Amino acid sequence: MKRYVVKRIFSGLLTVLLVFTLNFVIIKAAPGDPIKTLMGKENSDPQLRAALEEKWGLNQPQYVQYFNYLRNAVQGDLGTSITYNQSVNKLIAEKVGPTVLLGVAAAIVALFIGTAMGIYCARHEGGIGDTIFSGFAYTLDAMPSFWLGLMLILIFASRLGWFPTSSMTDVRAGYTGMRYVADVAYHMVLPCLCLIAITMPGYFRIAKSSVLQVTNEDFITTLRATGMDEGKIFRKYIFRNAILPTITTFGITLAFLITGVTLIEIVFAWPGMGRLTMTAINQRDYPTLLGIYLIVSVAVSLVMILVDIVYALFDPRIRFE
Amino acid sequence: MAKSNKRSKLTRYLQGFKSDAQFRAGVIGIVLLLLVVALTPVLVTHDAHEFGSLSLGRPGQDGHLLGTNHMGQDVYSMIIEGTSTSLKVAVISSMISAILGILVGGIAGFFGGKTDIVISESINAFLMIPTFFLVLLVIALFGNSITNVMIVIGLTSWPGNAKLMRAQALSLRERTFVKSAVALGETRLQILTKYILPNGIFPVVANTTRGMAGAILTEASLSFLGLGDPNIISWGQMIYAGKNYITTGWWVSTFAGIATIITVVIFYLLGDGMNHVLNPKYSFGKGGGK
Repeated sequence: MKRYVVKRIFSGLLTVLLVFTLNFVIIKAAPGDPIKTLMGKENSDPQLRAALEEKWGLNQPQYVQYFNYLRNAVQGDLGTSITYNQSVNKLIAEKVGPTVLLGVAAAIVALFIGTAMGIYCARHEGGIGDTIFSGFAYTLDAMPSFWLGLMLILIFASRLGWFPTSSMTDVRAGYTGMRYVADVAYHMVLPCLCLIAITMPGYFRIAKSSVLQVTNEDFITTLRATGMDEGKIFRKYIFRNAILPTITTFGITLAFLITGVTLIEIVFAWPGMGRLTMTAINQRDYPTLLGIYLIVSVAVSLVMILVDIVYALFDPRIRFE
Repeated sequence: MAKSNKRSKLTRYLQGFKSDAQFRAGVIGIVLLLLVVALTPVLVTHDAHEFGSLSLGRPGQDGHLLGTNHMGQDVYSMIIEGTSTSLKVAVISSMISAILGILVGGIAGFFGGKTDIVISESINAFLMIPTFFLVLLVIALFGNSITNVMIVIGLTSWPGNAKLMRAQALSLRERTFVKSAVALGETRLQILTKYILPNGIFPVVANTTRGMAGAILTEASLSFLGLGDPNIISWGQMIYAGKNYITTGWWVSTFAGIATIITVVIFYLLGDGMNHVLNPKYSFGKGGGK
């Protein structure tokens, strides 16, 4: 088990390094220059350029910049944003909360709804409920998330006026305490609904197919032959075996949620990491971009490692391989 | 041996068309989409690129079936034109992804040993990369031409295919007909290209078909972030352009989104159908297995 964990952590580190290097190379190779943005279009004073380049450390050779960045990053310093002139750590810290709040809330609801529906459909395979739910999940799976978001805004915010169209709080009201929490929850309904609808089909598919698979295995047939109560077989044997893939899927979706949330954040003007990323890209704010991508890849790797460890705890076959 | 194997796969497709509803629906859908592309000049009612005088015309108004957008372009004709864009993105990017995946996975599985360990670890690392962010970065920094979009989607989506191909190659090289080829003294390259690749690619083909749906959605997402190719008509860009008029002109975004969903569902059906049909456990009897 210990060897397995060490191995997973090692490959996680490898991934983070790979992602970072890729991003670094892409950003450095790309046309477009942050110094130009800072100096303004009309200005081409070489002295100013040299001074700015020195300030941001861009006058050093590329590989020196690369290792400097890595060394600082390991010590927890992601540098300073070129456009905001603020520490990247602070920028990200401000925006990560709303993204995680939205993403995790949606993932948990989607997990329960999707899994419950999947189990129901597997136990009543071929019935009317199965046909309707399966078709519904199939269509949701094919839907562009941002389009669904627009439709939700069109119907529930614009036509019916039940929910606000955008942002996280009512800025003018300036609520505090419980009112503030309620306000955020109210603003969260539509973006959350959208995310749930997009992630739910994954859980549905996994739950349905793994329940079906376990049900068809020989040991279940044997249990049935002994005359054991069908409900007991399901609770004690089918469910326990079939839930394993769902755990993995939950981890993977959680890890990749941050990228999925981006689009929905844009649609609903949710003040999270997605919007920070888009501004950073448009402004060629390289330190912020590198910081965001590093944090995202570390988060993804961490969650994946956790998933693998949890899985190994549940399934001894992996542990002892 | 290899040849007869291929032929039996073809008959499986034919049988599958008769017995598997998903596969049948997928094939029919693809044929319809290709017909739309082929008949684009006949099907359009207006020049999709022309800016008309009627801005945000309602569906049905002045002969515009699905209305017009804020620039006065005919939404119906734009959707018809956008079909070829979506299909082009889907096919070209997934071809890149399939070829890369087949080569990398085939080599890893066939050679085994150290080569396999190194390649497998890289595949796993690539699988953990948040690809959409990577695509976003490259397109934003290197320019948003449709060619760039297709290449980048292809270059970031191969690891899944490589993983499937590796598993196939691993099992194929233990099979008798490959072992006898080795005994006959054929070179490794010959064995790889003549026996391993042709026999192992079927699951990759099914996966690639599902990947085409993913490519369409990725292109749409990029367009929605304002990173689509401004010189062509694509459904994602129509949704993006309609976003600002969602309250006054709901039809612009809505219909383009529906077109996207239909196309993506068709590719899903085809991919899942192929998986059923190619699955050796699948029975072609009444009702069929799943």
